[in-house]
Amino acid sequence: MSLRKLAAVAAVAGAALGAQSAAAQNITLEFVVWNYALETIQDNVRKFEEANPGIKVNVTDYTWPDYQDSLVLRFRGGTQTDVLYGGQDWLPAWASAGWVAPLADIAPEGVIDTLSKDMAGFALSDVTYDGKIYGLPYYADTISFIYNAKLLEEHGIEVPQTWEDVMAASEKLKAAGIDRPIVYEYNQELPNFFDAFVAQVYGRGGELFDEELNAVFDQPDNAAYQHLEWLREAFEKELVQPENHESNIITTMNTGKHAFTVVYNYVLAAMNNEAEQPLAGQFALARMPGEAHSTLGFAKFYAVTATTAADPERAEAAWKFIDFMAGQPYTVAKRWAVENGLGFGQLPLLQDAEVKEAWGKWVDMDVLAGQIESAKAGTWTEWTAVWSAYFRPLLASAMVGEIPVEQAMRDGAERWNMLREQFANR
Amino acid sequence: MWSIRRYPVLWLLPALVPVVAFIAYPVAYAFWTSLHQVMLLFPGEPFVGFDNYSRVLSSSYFKTAFLNSALFMLFAAPLVVILGVAVALFLQRRFAGSTLVRSVVLLPWVLPGAISAVLWIWVFHPSFGIINGLLQWIGAISAPIQWLNTPALAFVCVLVAHVWTQIPFAVVLTMAALAAINSETLEAATIDCRSAWKRFWYVIFPEIKAMVVVLLVYNALVAFTTYDLVYAMTGGGPGTATTLLAFQIWRESFAMYDFGAGSALAFVMVAVAAALIVAITRLLPSDLFEERP
Repeated sequence: MSLRKLAAVAAVAGAALGAQSAAAQNITLEFVVWNYALETIQDNVRKFEEANPGIKVNVTDYTWPDYQDSLVLRFRGGTQTDVLYGGQDWLPAWASAGWVAPLADIAPEGVIDTLSKDMAGFALSDVTYDGKIYGLPYYADTISFIYNAKLLEEHGIEVPQTWEDVMAASEKLKAAGIDRPIVYEYNQELPNFFDAFVAQVYGRGGELFDEELNAVFDQPDNAAYQHLEWLREAFEKELVQPENHESNIITTMNTGKHAFTVVYNYVLAAMNNEAEQPLAGQFALARMPGEAHSTLGFAKFYAVTATTAADPERAEAAWKFIDFMAGQPYTVAKRWAVENGLGFGQLPLLQDAEVKEAWGKWVDMDVLAGQIESAKAGTWTEWTAVWSAYFRPLLASAMVGEIPVEQAMRDGAERWNMLREQFANR
Repeated sequence: MWSIRRYPVLWLLPALVPVVAFIAYPVAYAFWTSLHQVMLLFPGEPFVGFDNYSRVLSSSYFKTAFLNSALFMLFAAPLVVILGVAVALFLQRRFAGSTLVRSVVLLPWVLPGAISAVLWIWVFHPSFGIINGLLQWIGAISAPIQWLNTPALAFVCVLVAHVWTQIPFAVVLTMAALAAINSETLEAATIDCRSAWKRFWYVIFPEIKAMVVVLLVYNALVAFTTYDLVYAMTGGGPGTATTLLAFQIWRESFAMYDFGAGSALAFVMVAVAAALIVAITRLLPSDLFEERP
């Protein structure tokens, strides 16, 4: 072969290699989640990758109790993180620290506004910080009061409407041989230990903070103070069976030896799962006891890191992924709802025939709709998550009588005010 | 040229570098952190002097954690040593299956703390735990005991789990001490002294008392600084019933994101542990570690 021909062949080969290299420049997004239903997450990711050649998604998971700590350390340590699960109680701190970016920074113009119109009120509130939307809902839910309908019927007890009714019903059941009628997720290391308390306070029509973000729960006439006293009394009377995780609550309630609990709605779906639970179908949702029958509504969402938002190529890939997981026509959110009973923040799904049919098997949709309608978002500030870690052990101590309710509430309020001042002076 | 006499420091570098890198620097940085407001969610790290120390020392969480740690140490250390010595004396005998028994006794030592914690959580579970199951089966109780959800009982449960994990180490060291005793001394004691207790107290114990003291000091420090079992078994709860100082350090740093307070608490704990060691050392008889004639 002549030198000229050899050079031509080399040039063609080099061009082909270069083209192949360009085509092989995939982006791998780092997607960080807590470890609920990882197989479903991985399957959703696979579907996204099939629909978007050139974008790979690497899933990293942490346990729920460790999730916030792990994310904070990832952010501070500069570990590559593109898309992540966020929570309503963490958003203000993360956004304030500049770790996550508004979705409008990466989404086509107008899209986020359009999607926000489909969101439930408390969900929209929870994904918004400083007037900007930082996430699209992955899962939105209310914390609900669940009861064993068969047990109540057998003992001639009406569905409780107030917390006094719950106490009276529990005492009646205990007298009839049901040892500890109330099952309570008692684990101060879980963020939702505080959320459940707030939900119950909202049932009473109470608030923990006023409009100026002053702590008011340390006042004896405050609904939160009164409810902590109620919980303490319930524990003292040995009406409460503490369980340290919702998975144990599912099993415990399905022994038929307990009547009431306060959990997320998807736990009710699991309790009523005919394929797995012996007493499936016995459990029902009631409006949260109390004068207001309100409860805590909250949203967990897909968010993008500020680092990724600043990189045009990664930002584009991240938006495609978030849009696939949480944008219209809400396919993934619907899948979570139908297969796992996970709540959603996208209101159109309430009218979806498949969702209605799937949910009708484990919950009364009319009661649920009423509960969702009265649900309120919580008070989430830049220091709420830090303060909650301080306050939860105080709540737990007061519930079991280790410290007086007055001390728990006083110490909690002092810490809230201290953190508020620290943040204001930063 | 590069003789050890001319440049002695250079020859110390291979040892000095890791010590500085992995001990001296982290400790110094932790001390610096304790003097600054280092909160992960807030920007800036302003100097605050000893504010972190005063805030930590005056908080109700510290008082509770300190008392819990002191109580935990006072019970755990003697229990580990007494049970460890008893088991070692038993294992010194030859009997069928003694090798197997020795292996089983060492098992708790090889389990990570978190695994031991999960194991004991299930043992103490109110509905599915073996203890409640046995007690109900023999009719000792009519309703399940809430072991890990009752403050006083939860403390006892963590104590039991901790002692169980530490006994093997005490057994191993005590058996080593026992093996060093002159066999002729033991034979003579068997002939001259019919009471097993007297043999132990007047002949065997004097030979192993140095090891017993070492075990007491070691287990006191281990109990005072226990963290993994508390984290995995009770999360410091219910409430603060099982919150020990080491766990409170974790909570300040990684749950409340206040590294300044966490570091301050760590140094307080070091100071207390150091004072403990000095006090115990001064109380020891001066001839404890001397060779017996």
